[in-house]
Amino acid sequence: MQASNDVVIETRNLTKVYRDFWGRQKVRALKALDLEVRRGEIFGLLGPNGSGKTTTIKLLLGLLFPTSGQSLVFGRDATDVSKNERLGYLPEESYLYRFLNAEETLDFYGRLFKIPRAVRRQRTFELIEMVGLDWARRRQLKEYSKGMVRRIGLAQALINDPELILLDEPTTGLDPIGTREMKDLILKLRDQGKTVLMCSHLLADVQDVCDRIAILYQGELKELGRVDNLLKVRDVTEIRASGLDAQAQQEIKAVIEKHQGKLLSMGNPTSTLEELFLKIIRESEAHPGRRVRGEKES
Amino acid sequence: MSPQNTFQRKILYLVGIVVLLTLLSVLGRPATRGTEQAQDSPGGYLAQLRQKSGLSQAELGQIDPTSETIKLATFGMRGVAANILWEKANRYKMKKDWTNLAAAVRQIIKLQPNFISVWIFQGWTFAYNVSVEFDDVRDRYEWVIKGINFLKEGCQYNQHDPRLRWETGWTLSNKIGNSDERRQFRSFFKADDDFHGDRPLAERDNWLVAKSWFRKAERLVDEYGVKMKGQGPLIYRANAAKCQMSYAEAIEDDGVFGEVARQAWKTAADEWQEYGKIDLPGFGGVVIQLNDLEEREATAEKLSREMDALQEGLRGQIREEKKKTLELTNAQREAWETPPAERDTAQMILADEVEQLLKVSDPEVARRITGPARKQAQELAKRSAANEAVALAIRKARQIVNFEYWRMRAALEQLDDTLAARELVYDGSQAFYDGDLDTAKRTFEDGLAAWRKVLDAYPEMLADPTAGDDLMDVIERYRQILELRDEQLPKNFVLQDVIDRYANRE
Amino acid sequence: MVIEYAIVPFLEWLSTSFVYWLMILGGVVAAALIGSWLVVTLRHGPVVAFRCVGRVLSDTVVDLALIAPRRVLAMAWLAVKESIRRRVVVVFAVFLVLLLFAGWFLDPASSEPARLYLSFVLTATSYLVLLLALFLSALSLPADIKNKTLHTVVTKPVRPSEIVLGRILGFTAVGTVLLGIMALMSYVFVVRGLSHTHQVADADLRAVEQIDDGEPAIRQGHSSRVHKHRHEVTVDASGGVRVELEHGHWHDVSAGQSAGETVYQFGPPRGRLVARVPVYARQLRFKDPTGEDAEEGVNVGDEWGYRSFIRGGSLAAAIWTFEDITTDRFPKSSFPDGLPLEMTLEVFRTYKGQTDDPKTIPGILGSLSVGDPKTGKPIEVRLFTAKDFATDVQYIPRQVETPDGRKLDLFKDLAPDGRLEVWIRCIQPMQYFGMARADVYFRARNAQFWVNLAKGYFGIWLQMVLVIGIGAMYSTFLSGPIALLATMGTLLGGFFSRFMGDLGAGAVMGGGPIESLYRLVTQKNLIQDLEPGLKTTVIEMIDHVLEYGLWVTSSLLPEFDRFSFSEHVAKGFDVSGNLAAQCALRSLAFLIPVFVAGYLFLKTREVAR
Repeated sequence: MQASNDVVIETRNLTKVYRDFWGRQKVRALKALDLEVRRGEIFGLLGPNGSGKTTTIKLLLGLLFPTSGQSLVFGRDATDVSKNERLGYLPEESYLYRFLNAEETLDFYGRLFKIPRAVRRQRTFELIEMVGLDWARRRQLKEYSKGMVRRIGLAQALINDPELILLDEPTTGLDPIGTREMKDLILKLRDQGKTVLMCSHLLADVQDVCDRIAILYQGELKELGRVDNLLKVRDVTEIRASGLDAQAQQEIKAVIEKHQGKLLSMGNPTSTLEELFLKIIRESEAHPGRRVRGEKES
Repeated sequence: MSPQNTFQRKILYLVGIVVLLTLLSVLGRPATRGTEQAQDSPGGYLAQLRQKSGLSQAELGQIDPTSETIKLATFGMRGVAANILWEKANRYKMKKDWTNLAAAVRQIIKLQPNFISVWIFQGWTFAYNVSVEFDDVRDRYEWVIKGINFLKEGCQYNQHDPRLRWETGWTLSNKIGNSDERRQFRSFFKADDDFHGDRPLAERDNWLVAKSWFRKAERLVDEYGVKMKGQGPLIYRANAAKCQMSYAEAIEDDGVFGEVARQAWKTAADEWQEYGKIDLPGFGGVVIQLNDLEEREATAEKLSREMDALQEGLRGQIREEKKKTLELTNAQREAWETPPAERDTAQMILADEVEQLLKVSDPEVARRITGPARKQAQELAKRSAANEAVALAIRKARQIVNFEYWRMRAALEQLDDTLAARELVYDGSQAFYDGDLDTAKRTFEDGLAAWRKVLDAYPEMLADPTAGDDLMDVIERYRQILELRDEQLPKNFVLQDVIDRYANRE
Repeated sequence: MVIEYAIVPFLEWLSTSFVYWLMILGGVVAAALIGSWLVVTLRHGPVVAFRCVGRVLSDTVVDLALIAPRRVLAMAWLAVKESIRRRVVVVFAVFLVLLLFAGWFLDPASSEPARLYLSFVLTATSYLVLLLALFLSALSLPADIKNKTLHTVVTKPVRPSEIVLGRILGFTAVGTVLLGIMALMSYVFVVRGLSHTHQVADADLRAVEQIDDGEPAIRQGHSSRVHKHRHEVTVDASGGVRVELEHGHWHDVSAGQSAGETVYQFGPPRGRLVARVPVYARQLRFKDPTGEDAEEGVNVGDEWGYRSFIRGGSLAAAIWTFEDITTDRFPKSSFPDGLPLEMTLEVFRTYKGQTDDPKTIPGILGSLSVGDPKTGKPIEVRLFTAKDFATDVQYIPRQVETPDGRKLDLFKDLAPDGRLEVWIRCIQPMQYFGMARADVYFRARNAQFWVNLAKGYFGIWLQMVLVIGIGAMYSTFLSGPIALLATMGTLLGGFFSRFMGDLGAGAVMGGGPIESLYRLVTQKNLIQDLEPGLKTTVIEMIDHVLEYGLWVTSSLLPEFDRFSFSEHVAKGFDVSGNLAAQCALRSLAFLIPVFVAGYLFLKTREVAR
């Protein structure tokens, strides 16, 4: 994959504190976040619920204003409306007007961009086709299932053929096939040269598609780096095989012992990202406030 | 909240609902008429209360779907709504916006059709306050009739309210018959087909129509035992008969005499007689009949004479004793010692005071009677005193309604001489308006002569100021006629006694 | 039946109002800037605050200047869709039900039923439409924020200004369509409700005796009674039928033959639904009984001080000065009888006069004169009998004869520059005439009634747009129900703003809020002075502060009732272009700041909170 130094998203010391009506501090949702997302990569924000992922995305979109620090998208302040021309956003739960149908929805959002009418029509048609809803294009969204709404939400995020796509929990509410399709789509978008920022608490999603990830916990950045680097454990070899009988397993054990190796376990391996994640959380809880920094990648 | 808790609460609510509904059904049970199987039932407490206050809807009168709908639509806020409308109506009245005033009032009565004061107040507003704002008499009449129609409508909504009937009668009689514009009003009223419908022309007199309304009010009181609020029976029972008198007067004003007028007065006299027979609550808590005064006085007199007969001379004896012990002021003594014919007014009063002090009452006499007759004497004294008390109450009541004057008047007006006198004076006045002074003078002189005869027949008429003023008007007109002919009242004028008595009264 | 308040000429109004508007606007803007600077200073210090405010200002200019019609229309389209989904059609149902039941309360037999009917439909529509506007505008944006549907929208390149404007336009479009249909329904309702005919047969007519034997008889009679009135009908020898005016209308009658009998066919009522175009006087001045100039006449003890009275049989006079009385405006072809002067004088009698004879009912005599600009003296045109509580028409001829026999031309000699003075005096001693400026006017022409009704609905439309604007503004920073309440409060405050202004100026009996409360609690009446002392001083001090607040609020609130033309339409007066323009500008004057405020609130709020 070609690396580019073209920075699309940059946050500097981004902090968000939620206050109540009287201005008293309630929650420190995000603490001094520094991030850079570069053109053409899929960047994943990972963390448990309430870790500040969605807050980060809302800050990047200008839906929230930072308490301090700055967030820049395409080099412009996040509150600048013009950045939205080149951006697509799929919210957590596709917040769409339920009284519109699929075509009307896409047409409405399309009108908000400076796109010629013919192109808008064309794209509406294509996107409905792409998300596989051409059989329900004239039905009001209130009759849609959750998965269908999710797909039309994705379609509206792509209506302007954006350079940067922000996906908030893209796979929630999707069945396994839908999840697979979503992941494939994200990879396809990357292949088209688009930048994708997604956040999720589903480790598998992130592990499968992301080039780089940042792990947030309680508003703090705990890990940042390339997925392969973060997950690589050099002195562990993983063996996966099928169709082995007990005797074959004994033989493999013997081979390992012969090479002064030590068999750690054998069976279905656990996801290593999950391990990493759990480790970070354990550490954070043991030493609150300490920042776990991933090694700077090359 | 745990599921068990919720369940308990639901049960509690259910029990509460059942208890409240049961209570309501017991309290609100409607009254039922007795049948062969079952007894009369007065209904639950609420039903009784409603009956007592005359609030049950079906009892009140006509049920109007519009009104009911509005009442429902205001969700129990109709008091507030009516208040706002009332405020609005007041503002429209201030700004003389009569159309909107009428509309606002209409809305109020739709909201609260059983609020009697609203009907009375606004009916009065239309007939009295709004009508006078107009310059044209026809417009004024329109509004008077609007007020009357409004009150009549109120009667439909409130079938058992005597007060509204009374107000209707009052407006019909007083506003149409007694205002400055009565001539026009009465003639418009006669010609008002829309008001009368197919009522025959002869009955289209405001006084007669008013009388029928007063009678309706009386009937409600008699038949349903409803109370007439704000009016004593002494007064409102007199209204109908008084209307008949006013009717007789009014037609004579219009130039109708002869048998018609006599009949009108005869009816008036009869009705006044009937009025005198009604049991009325009198002063001191006694029940009186206005006709009874003379009889009561005679009875009292007879009884005290009977008592005196038990021990002759006792009364005189007591009086003499009193005279001795009496302490009088010099003025009193002087007045009393002056012979009655020579007393002046002040002395008459003083003498009367002394007379009162010297008066020996029946119980005083009875107390002094000794022996076997004592018991009988006390019995007689008691009865005499009771009759005396009733007579006193009747005297007071008669004064209030001017009973004797009207009784005399109704009798006197039926006389040939009176009718002739009135007709002559009327003809004379017509001649005077036409400028025919000779005829006017001649007819007036005949008329005055006729009056002389009436006065001689009924000398007590002269004592009544109302009649006196009436006659003074006639004399004044006669003087006018003479003045225009450069003449003066003759020295030996036939009605000089009237002038002597009333000329300087003011 | 007059309109109480006067309408100032447009340019005169514009010049004063515009300055006033600028002043208020300047004040509000200054207060907002200083206020927001202070708030930001508290948290971030004065320099950052200064930069912040500066940036918002520059952003505002950009966002307002770069509003794209395409996006505004898209947002408006969404608002329309939303309204339809929220079943605005229900309003029709309510309106229909209202109209159905209205017949129960509206009395077509009253003396001025047109007024009742028109007031009713206009009021009912305005309440319904305003309520609808209120609900649509105040609840829409908060719902979007709550459902987070707005997140999807604001992450598109839409400016907050476009969101607010789009919503205002969309709801306005919906309201306009609704209002249009309701106007049509009302028109049909009014015309149908007032419609009635009478019958008259040959048998109802009596021949009226003629002085000349040769003349054929004129026959007169009364029509049947419908709606509590009947018309006097006169049929002349040639068969022409004349129907007298009654309850403010007449009917066209056509006579036809049927089975050998003449049948008179009554048409629908005429003359009820009118739109008179009045030319009001610029000024009304008075002369006192000695002939000296006076500010106003006397008060005869009316609670309502609208009319001033002049004494009869004296030199007292009321003088109206009209402008623009020219031949062009009153051409001879349209006004052959002279200039129609309509008068609604009030008569006040100090004595009743002759009331004995029912045949002659004398009214109070008055004299109508025009002023001679050369001498400044009046020249009598005619005597008239005053009609109380009715509008009387007198014609001022084109040629006026002076007492010394000269003939003066009305336009050339008496109104050379278009200024004409009309003098009215009361002839009978000790009787009074009452008048106000709007009581006497020239009836220039009749406008189309339906156009006037449409103008009445335009007034409601203006109110509706204002409510939508205000609702949209509140909904940008308040939650739905609160925005609803706030809008409703503004609406109510707007309807009572004049009273609030009076209260703020201390011109209302019973003092300020605290004093009134005190009087209520202690049951003191309004006339009674409070006993001086510390308590009273404290009460008055608090009241002064509250009154100032009331005054400020009242001057910021739109005077909603001023936007209503219902009174004009119901009373049968044309809504002049001047009035309509003033109201339109007035609502624009409110809408612009309201829109900008709405934009600023939306821009400076965190949509995702």
